This record gives sequence, structure tokens and C-alpha cells, in this order.
Amino acid sequence: MEEAMTSSQGGESDMDYSDNECYDEYYNIHDDSDIEQIDPRKIDPEYFEFRCLLEEEVDRLLNETVEALSSILHISPSLAKVLLYSHQWNVNEITKKFRENPTSVLVSSRIEPATTPSSLLLTRYIICPVCVTPQPLDKFYGLSCTHMFCKDCWTMHFEVQINQGISTGIACMARDCVVLAPEDFVLKHLQRPNMREKYQQFCFQDYVKSHPELRFCPGPNCSIVVHSCEMKAKRATCTQCKTAFCFRCGCDYHAPTDCQVIKKWLTKCADDSETANYISAHTKDCPKCHICIEKNGGCNHMQCYNCKHDFCWMCLGDWKSHGSEYYECSRYRENPNIAHESVHAQAREALKKYLHYYERWENHSKSLKLEEQTLTNLKARINQKVMSGLGTWIDWQYLFTAANLLAKCRYTLQYTYPYAYYMDAGPRKELFEYQQAQLEAEIENLSWKIERAETTDRGELENQMDIAEKRRTTLLKDFLDV
Amino acid sequence: MAALPRRIIKETQRLMQEPVPGISAVPDDSNARYFHVIVTGPEDSPFEGGLFKLELFLPEDYPMSAPKVRFITKIYHPNIDRLGRICLDILKDKWSPALQIRTVLLSIQALLSAPNPDDPLANDVAELWKVNESEAIRNAKEWTRRYAMDN
Ligand SMILES: [Zn+2]
Ligand SMILES: [Zn+2]
Ligand SMILES: [Zn+2]
Ligand SMILES: [Zn+2]
Ligand SMILES: [Zn+2]
Ligand SMILES: [Zn+2]
Repeated sequence: MEEAMTSSQGGESDMDYSDNECYDEYYNIHDDSDIEQIDPRKIDPEYFEFRCLLEEEVDRLLNETVEALSSILHISPSLAKVLLYSHQWNVNEITKKFRENPTSVLVSSRIEPATTPSSLLLTRYIICPVCVTPQPLDKFYGLSCTHMFCKDCWTMHFEVQINQGISTGIACMARDCVVLAPEDFVLKHLQRPNMREKYQQFCFQDYVKSHPELRFCPGPNCSIVVHSCEMKAKRATCTQCKTAFCFRCGCDYHAPTDCQVIKKWLTKCADDSETANYISAHTKDCPKCHICIEKNGGCNHMQCYNCKHDFCWMCLGDWKSHGSEYYECSRYRENPNIAHESVHAQAREALKKYLHYYERWENHSKSLKLEEQTLTNLKARINQKVMSGLGTWIDWQYLFTAANLLAKCRYTLQYTYPYAYYMDAGPRKELFEYQQAQLEAEIENLSWKIERAETTDRGELENQMDIAEKRRTTLLKDFLDV
Repeated sequence: MAALPRRIIKETQRLMQEPVPGISAVPDDSNARYFHVIVTGPEDSPFEGGLFKLELFLPEDYPMSAPKVRFITKIYHPNIDRLGRICLDILKDKWSPALQIRTVLLSIQALLSAPNPDDPLANDVAELWKVNESEAIRNAKEWTRRYAMDN
């Protein structure tokens, strides 16, 4: 069930994507024997097709585009690279603009100077303006702007720029001249092998970063590049290091929140971390018997070990009221008269509102970590059960599937809070918070059941898994806008 | 230490022979890449009448990299911070190996005549320069009198 819902990812290394065609087309061509062809995006809002590429594969993909453009426009591959880099690798756009007005494209891409260069003095010896050394004319080189400098000065200029991490952006040495040095010109002046390698490595990084269909895996020390024709804020998972991230912005996956909003939210949380710190305590008092309770699991449905009172960790309300009216716990009730209150009161209200969302965001993030611990404990517990003759390893596997699904649902739930925080009040927000509450309730039920699973009877738990995942998908279908 | 590049020798000679009006730049006796600079406050600026000491250093890869310049004399200016660091585009991303010590010093002199609070380095100074220019100018004059005169 769960596996069928997750996004597909490329594993077939023999697949040919040479024409930069979308996988859609690829699949349509090869899968037309399938009678029922439904768009998987309709079933799974998170459906995402991508491939994890090695450096050589990326090189090949980039070079094919470079060669295509260079043969269309009859320009060198080096110049084609400059054009592609400044136009997000959009061959069609470049070709169209080039046919309309080639000069303007070449000037705006910094291949040619804006003003026609003055004709050169052709004497046998000239003085290089940088090293002020007179040298024979054949030792001088220049770009399309015809600013001439000696060979050694170019080499030094390039080495200094490369050591600062600059590659595709290296410009001419003349004052105020913006003409860029294309790859072949730079390489012609670089002899040291480590410099050439460094330069090519930096160029490669610039090319990948400028290519909307490519993204470096953000995993530590991972050199995988993810390729997708869908340039959307969807989840990509690296096949090599297993890091999952948003394809569009490269940050942690954040559905249903979009890239700009999550960035704003994370910046806000970092700025306000001190204010929010006081709530990060791990202990609260039981609302009934007031004994101190430590939260050591991910579930927010708490039961006091002393008086057995069931309550909600977030709002300390009676858990019984959370079945039907969970809404009241996850939703923030805004003060309707706030516009008439004093500036001071408004500031207090703004902080209160932020803390409401922040507490829940932070709490689910902690729950996710605690549930990882629960999974470890679960393994030990199952081991014990199997050893004492209670079922087999296979019988207990469903619990791990349940724990994985729980993590996935809670992850989405965590990211619904920044989304809600930035939403404007109105019916859409009400619907969102209603669905969020529904999802939250089912997740806590699932968490509660997993922590207490004592038998191999999987029916009830699988039912709960199904409900939770359905709530999650419904919310994403309605609100994930990518 | 490596021999001094021809470029530095030529520039130093020219600075000595035809100095920039209002600026003196003298290489240190022990290190020809290190210059003692004195800029006179431009006329009709709050820095008028002041003598501002700066240090200028030519890094190993000069002129591929920009010279390093810093005010030693305290100065109240939106583009110069407490440590005397200068916010000037040609000292950073707009540096070109075709620029010279002379052009850098001229640009610094121009910066004293025309402070640019929209591209600040010293934020509090720039803020005041924008909201209350006359008070900022008064401060600048006061600092000039206190730190840049008769020492
Ligand atoms: Zn030269
Ligand atoms: Zn040029
Ligand atoms: Zn990776
Ligand atoms: Zn994103
Ligand atoms: Zn209790
Ligand atoms: Zn609650």
C-alpha cells in the first residue's frame, strides 16, 4: 500500500535521456501497451519522477545541450556554454532571441562588448597595461573587446580568480569591461593541471546550479546530481546517501508549505529562537493530579502514570474532547477585535500567535525524533516476543511499516504549521485547519497504537494506517500547490 | 622575498614624480609593498582641514588582486567603519588589474567629498546621515577636529 504511493525513482542506468526529453514522453512511448494509463499525479500529489546522476552522466547531458546549441547557431561550444549559463540552459529561448537580434543576445550575455572596440595600434612591441612590460605583439591576447594583455598576465589573472572560486564569471582585465572569458580562452592560458581541474570543477558547479532541471544532492559529501523535468517543489530522495529534499530549493522537504514560505518561517524561527526557548521543556504537570510528567515518546496523547488521566500534551486539555473537537487544539483563535487594541497588545497577540504555531511545529519535530527512539525500543520488544514464542519475525514486520508511515505523516503534519501561520483568515484557512486537525488526531491515534502494540493482530493497526495516510493525501491534494 | 614586480616599481616612481594633489603615498623603508598614505580632507566637505592617515598594502598577487587599504585616523563616515575599513566597489568586486594605486586613492578622496549612505559599512552613521544629515555632518566635523587635526 505505502510503497505503491511513494514516488518512483530511476534505477535503470541504461535509460537513455539523450534528447533531454521528459520521462513522461519516455514512458508514454514505451508504456502504450498499458490499457489504463492514469496520471499518477492525480492519485498521489507528491508523485515525482527524477533520476540520480553521477558526474559523468551530468557532463554528458550538459554537453549534448552545448553541442546542440553550438550547431544551431554555428558558434563554438565555449560560447554556447556562456549563452546557456546566462539563459538557464533554455536552448529554444536563446535560439529565438538570437534569430531576432544576435548582437543584443551576445552583448547581454557578455560575449561581446556593448560598444565597438577601437582599432588596435599595430606596432611590433606593445606595453602590457598590467605588468607594464614591453613585449612582442604575438605575446598578447584579448577577448572580443580587443583589450590586449600579455599571456602571463592572463594566466595570473585566471589563477587568482579561480582561487577565489570564480569560474564562469571571470571577466576581461580592462577597467569597466564586462566581457567574460569563455572556457576555451581560460583553458588556453592555464597550464598547471591542478588549476585546470579546479577551474573545470567550479564551472561544473556553476552549470549545475544554473540548470533548472538539475540539483546537487544536499547530503554531506554526496556528489549525486538529481535530474527532473518537473521543476517543482517535490521530494527527491538520493539513491546514494538517502537524503530527502525539496527539488526546487534543495532544503528539507516541506509540503504543503512552499519554498518561499518555509524560508521565511525558518528565518523567523531562527530570529525568534530566544523567545521560543522557554517552551522547549520536556516536562509538564498532569492537569489533574499535578504530578510531573516527562514526555519520552512521540505521541501527544498522554496518560498520567499516577492517576491514569488522559490528556493532550499540547494544550493540556482532556483527551476525550480531542476525538471530535481536535480542531480546537491545533487551530489558533485570533482575537477578532485586535485592530482596535493598542500597539502593545497587538505585539503581544502577534507573539502569542507565532508561539502557538511554533510550539506545534517544534513539538512534532521532537515527536519525530522521539518516535525514532520508539522504533529502536520496538525492535527490542519484538525480539523479546519472538524469543518467547510470540509470533515470528515476519508476523511483527507490520509494526515497522506502521512506524515508517507514522514518520511520514507526522513529517507532513509538522510542515502544515508554517503553512497555516502565513495563511490569511477565511474559509480556506478554516478548511485547512479542519483537515490539519483531522490528520493530527489520526496520527496521534496511530502513534498511541504503535507504542502499545502487544499482539500480532494487525487488522486494527492497518486500518488506522490507512485512515492516517488518506487524511494526509487529502490535505496535500487540496493544498499542495506545486 | 621575491623581487619587486616592474609594475609596482613603475607605479611607485610615478607616485613620487607626479603626486596626486592632496594625497601623499610613501613606501615604507623596509617593505616596498607597504605605503604610508595621508589624504587631506577635501574642500567643502565635513573633513576639510583634516589630515587622514591610511595604510595601503599591495598583496602578493597585486595587481590581479586589489590593494588593501585602511584608515588609521578615526573618521565619521557612512562608508568607513570603526576599524577604518572602506566600502568601495573598486576595492572589491569591481577591481580590475588595469586600475592603479593612484586610481584607488583618488576614489577614496572622492568618497570623502561624496559619502554614500545608501551603501553603508557603518550602519549607525549611515542611518543618521539619512535621517538627520545636518547632525551627521556636525559629528563628522567634530571628529575631524578631534582626531585629524594638529597631531
Ligand atoms: Zn602583462
Ligand atoms: Zn575587455
Ligand atoms: Zn546524496
Ligand atoms: Zn522547496
Ligand atoms: Zn495525573
Ligand atoms: Zn490539545
